[in-house]
Amino acid sequence: MEKNLIYVYCISDSNQPHDSMAGIPDLKALRIGNFNVYVKYVSDSEFSEENLKKNLNDIQWLDTNARDHLRVIGQIMENESVIPFKFGTIFLSEERLNKFISDYSSSLSENFQRIEGREEWSVRIYCDRKMMSQQIDRLSEEASSLEKQIQSSLPGKAFLLRRKKTELIENETDRLINQFGQEYYNKFKELSNLTSLNNILPEELTGRTEKMILNAAFLVPKRNVESFMGKADSLLKKDDNLGFSIETTGPWPPFSFISLKELY
Amino acid sequence: MHDDVINESKDITILELLDRVLNKGVILTGDIVISVADIDLVYLGVKLMLSSVETMEQIRSGKAPEVKWKG
Repeated sequence: MEKNLIYVYCISDSNQPHDSMAGIPDLKALRIGNFNVYVKYVSDSEFSEENLKKNLNDIQWLDTNARDHLRVIGQIMENESVIPFKFGTIFLSEERLNKFISDYSSSLSENFQRIEGREEWSVRIYCDRKMMSQQIDRLSEEASSLEKQIQSSLPGKAFLLRRKKTELIENETDRLINQFGQEYYNKFKELSNLTSLNNILPEELTGRTEKMILNAAFLVPKRNVESFMGKADSLLKKDDNLGFSIETTGPWPPFSFISLKELY
Repeated sequence: MHDDVINESKDITILELLDRVLNKGVILTGDIVISVADIDLVYLGVKLMLSSVETMEQIRSGKAPEVKWKG
């Protein structure tokens, strides 16, 4: 079947298109305006509106293609700065793609200015609540003074105070998680130009037992990247064994820092 | 680590992968493109498929499938 649809991976503002890349036989670089538009030609049988919808229900297809999307953009990004497209964006003709690029050209340029010399890094912070709440007497003055009161009370009163403490532990754990989480976020923020808060992912998605408490993306100047990567370790060393873990990954295509002004 | 995040992300789950590539970037809708319109529906489909795969594996390994409601 004829490949007459245009699947777009990303746009770069480099003057030098990389038309051939190892392991990506279908990749084409189209020169449109001042940009390289990285595309592959695809067929109706796979990407027409109806067939795309069908394929999205095929987990194998979805997995292969979504992974391909990320991998190809990642490879292009090694040499050029890119504006990534959402997975599965298909233009019906070159004419429409040309029109899109020319209509949005100034907005695209603004985006390139924003990401120039910067990288997107992801920081996810998890907390093991149990581990933190076990140390609550050490971490919370309120909890420790209540504990002292319990120790010096008669059994009946101590029983009631214990119940009060159970509730206090929950609240204090929440408060401390927020306090430390905010502090950690601020430390990463200091090293970046922009931040974007993303949705907290549920355990079934992360495959971890601890709760995710922060999911954020940071746009980091290249000169700060090394400090940024080392930040997680130094924060965790400072607050030893509180139950936090910090996962720093990158550089990602700057998915979180692209915004195009709506024209139509 | 630094230069190889995309390759290392081979290990990320499909749902996490979709979270990275479906929600952000250049997002176009309307007449000019074909695009993934209903992202929630895609997630739902993947979740259903994953949970039925899980059930299949549990049946195959002789464990009774755990019945649970998912919100």
